[in-house]
Amino acid sequence: MPKDRSEVLQGTLDLMVLKTLDALGPLHGYGVARRLEQLSEELLRLNEGTVYASLLRLAQKGWIRSEWGASENKRKARFYSITRAGRKQLAREAESWERISGVIGRVLRLESQG
Amino acid sequence: MLRPVFSRIRATLRRRRLDAEFDDEVQAHLDMLKERFIRLGMSPAEAFYAARRQFGGVTQMKENLRERRALPPIDVLVEDARHAFRQLRKAKGFTASAALTLALGIGASTAVFAVLDTVVLRPLPFAEPGRLMAFAPIDRRGTPHPTSLSYPNFFDFRAQNRVFEHLVSYRGGERFTLTDSLPAIQVGAEIVSWDLFQMLGVRPELGRGFRPEEEKPGTHVAVLSHALWRSRFGGDPGILGRRIRINGSPFTVAGVAPAGFRFPVEDTTIELWTTVSADEEMLYQRGARVLDAIGRLKPGVTAERARAQMDQIAGALARQYPDDNKNVAKTMVMPELERLTGRSRKPLWILLGAVGLVLLIACANVANLLLARSTDRAREFTLRTAIGASRPALVRQLLVESLMLGLVGSAGGVLLAWVMLKAILPLAGESIPRIWQTGIDGRALVFAALVAILTSVLFSVAPAIQVVRADLAGALKEGAANIARGRHRFRSALVVAQITLGLMLLVGAELLIASFLHLAQRDPGFRTDHLLTFDIALPDAQYNKAAQVAFCDRMIERLRAIPGVRAAATGMPLPLGGDEMSVSFDIEQRPAAAPDRPHSDIAIVTPGYFGAMRIPLLKGRDFTERDTADAPRVLVVNEAFARQYFPGEDVIGKRIEPGATNGRQDEMQMREIVGVVGNAKQAALSADPEPIYYFPYKQLSWGVGTIVLRTAVPPREVESAARTVLAGLDKQVPMYKVRTGQELSATAIARPRFQMVLMVSFAVFALLLTVAGLYGVLSYAVARRRREIGLRMALGAGRGEILALIFREAMQLVAAGLALGLAGAAIGGRLLESMVYGIQPGDPIFVAAACCAMVITSIAAAYVPAKQAAAVDPMRALRSE
Repeated sequence: MPKDRSEVLQGTLDLMVLKTLDALGPLHGYGVARRLEQLSEELLRLNEGTVYASLLRLAQKGWIRSEWGASENKRKARFYSITRAGRKQLAREAESWERISGVIGRVLRLESQG
Repeated sequence: MLRPVFSRIRATLRRRRLDAEFDDEVQAHLDMLKERFIRLGMSPAEAFYAARRQFGGVTQMKENLRERRALPPIDVLVEDARHAFRQLRKAKGFTASAALTLALGIGASTAVFAVLDTVVLRPLPFAEPGRLMAFAPIDRRGTPHPTSLSYPNFFDFRAQNRVFEHLVSYRGGERFTLTDSLPAIQVGAEIVSWDLFQMLGVRPELGRGFRPEEEKPGTHVAVLSHALWRSRFGGDPGILGRRIRINGSPFTVAGVAPAGFRFPVEDTTIELWTTVSADEEMLYQRGARVLDAIGRLKPGVTAERARAQMDQIAGALARQYPDDNKNVAKTMVMPELERLTGRSRKPLWILLGAVGLVLLIACANVANLLLARSTDRAREFTLRTAIGASRPALVRQLLVESLMLGLVGSAGGVLLAWVMLKAILPLAGESIPRIWQTGIDGRALVFAALVAILTSVLFSVAPAIQVVRADLAGALKEGAANIARGRHRFRSALVVAQITLGLMLLVGAELLIASFLHLAQRDPGFRTDHLLTFDIALPDAQYNKAAQVAFCDRMIERLRAIPGVRAAATGMPLPLGGDEMSVSFDIEQRPAAAPDRPHSDIAIVTPGYFGAMRIPLLKGRDFTERDTADAPRVLVVNEAFARQYFPGEDVIGKRIEPGATNGRQDEMQMREIVGVVGNAKQAALSADPEPIYYFPYKQLSWGVGTIVLRTAVPPREVESAARTVLAGLDKQVPMYKVRTGQELSATAIARPRFQMVLMVSFAVFALLLTVAGLYGVLSYAVARRRREIGLRMALGAGRGEILALIFREAMQLVAAGLALGLAGAAIGGRLLESMVYGIQPGDPIFVAAACCAMVITSIAAAYVPAKQAAAVDPMRALRSE
């Protein structure tokens, strides 16, 4: 079973990365990692390296693209941005995520009542 | 779906650069983290480690992404292939049987595909072939059927239609004699409209082709085939405009067709094209239906719309000329490719389907072999997993092995296909259009490769699933009885499927054999043994009609004098020859208006023809030398003719007026029926005897017919003597189409024979493969149940009971396969209906015979394993575990 759990997490991470790029525009991997850290308020502790695995998956599917640029401190850095296909995918995923979380929420409430 | 794959392929090509870039990216990330920690107050050393901790395993991540970014590196695949090769070489028996099985399946399907591709799928070799349409009037009598056009009708269609860019008439079947300084040769000629080449979109290699004014009577122009130009005129470019003697008249060479040009596509004998001016006598006869037509639609015009307009014109012509056109008021416009391949299309697709079944059976066999092997290899896989191979890697390994097997199999298959084509193409002869062009070309190779890949994936699925699902640790512990049982059930299912498919093929083969035997054994109405037939053609320019008759008389006289020749005569056309002439006639007692008159086949024969052919005279008299042009006009009819047109009456002495004359000056005349002969088959494949009436050759001189010699010796032995006789009469008259009676009848049923031979070889392949599959499964079952068998023996079971045990298992599989196969065979039988003659495909005898054959071969296959089982030594079997 451990495989399944990691798959769910992978999907979730991909969704978060995609949303981050959608909301903040082009970012480098470090930026994405900072943003996720910020958002999850330390609840989600992840090895920042896994962000790159997620970025690669998204790029292979054509949902994000990357180009080289200069970071704030004048370093060479690869910037990732969301593509049109990525936005569509994000909309789909977000919708299904809300539906599922809604269902789960209802189920959980139901249990606590019973 | 494919996007990630493409992305990986791209990444593979830039592997090194991407790796370096990623290293930089990670380094930058780490540096930024470190700076952040320093800002938060850590020492540089502390910050360095904190950054690494936060990032996670750097090296691991790099490795991980490197693997995911690109395809498995080439060296991994090469290693896989090497390993696969070693594995295959280690198991020589397995590899040989699997590769051979695959070669059989792939070879047979590639051969059939090559034929289908050449005959049916390939477009016509002309410009924009989609716009080429066959055009024909529809005769509404009986079952409405396409018929030929007369010149006046064709000219009206050509002039009045607005849907065809070009409409071209063509008429073949003529042999022209080329007489120059060289010995005379006979070439096939096609008489066509002037714009044939323009219509096809073909530029002659030399010259201009024909011009419109060259359709006028009296013009003699010809376009030569490339081959004729090379062989007869040495490829001389100066040939253009030169005059050559054809049939004794000077013809101007207007062009040379490009190499490989054929028109009509299905006729391999045409070497020369000339315009309709050659048909001077027929240009004005609206009743003489002798032409086929083909046209090129104007851009954007559909066949449907073209037909509507042609129908209108046909309707108007029928009203204008009711005597000749009343029955042809409708037309047909159909893609030329469809007309060409129409009759071959369905049988070839059915044969491809049949060979597909053979391929499936072969796949099942290989899957079976692989399963048996993967059982043996369970330990190897377990070991490899234990030392770190991932499941995907194992599956990849299996797939690579299968692919290698598939490639070896398809290489063998291509070789086999080549051999098969060499063997089967001569069987088809010219009965299937274009088939002689079949070869193993690029498309056939691609097909073979695709089939190899597809089958490799197909037959490696089962073993792969097992690797993925299997409790590998369990396998190490041996005694994984559950896995073995499931695996055995799967293998049994494969064998059942094989038997099902095999039964279908067996039934199909039986149907075609029965149909072929029916055709071959059917009495053609004349004796085909000791018979030699050949054609000659007398050039019109040197032999007028009287001279032709005189030549024919002298020739027959001299041919009869050849030692070993019993009788000589001529007939036009011969039975089974594929040619038919049909002429309408008016019955004296029951006169009818021209369009409503009956019509039937005719033949023109010399006295002694019926005797030479051994067609029995049933009533009245044969033709004699006294039935000359001046004598009273007489006819002989066959039994079917008498029965159909004079039922219950004595036909002798009845008079009919055939619509056939000696020329423009000749009147139609009442002719008296003086004899009745037996039915000789004109068309080999038709079910019922066709009515036919015979003219004595001196009373209807349409040229010299085919010569028939009844011999006392094997017929080929008199051939050279016959040539000598002919040369003695006129050196310029060549002899062609020399055939024995047996060749004549074999040619007539070449297509059914071709189909039968293919189907039977498929059924034999299928049966062999099925037997092998059954044998394999049973042997395995015996090995697996060794202990059980030993136990039963120890408890007192006899040899007979053990044999019965194994046979029972065999028969269970066979019974299941046959039950399923019955349904399939019923469907298959219905599909074959259009390919069989004279038998009932639904007859249960066929299914019953196929079931018997399957059961008998299965018993043979079960015999060896059963004997092994009976030979089990109970003591050793029980001790072994």
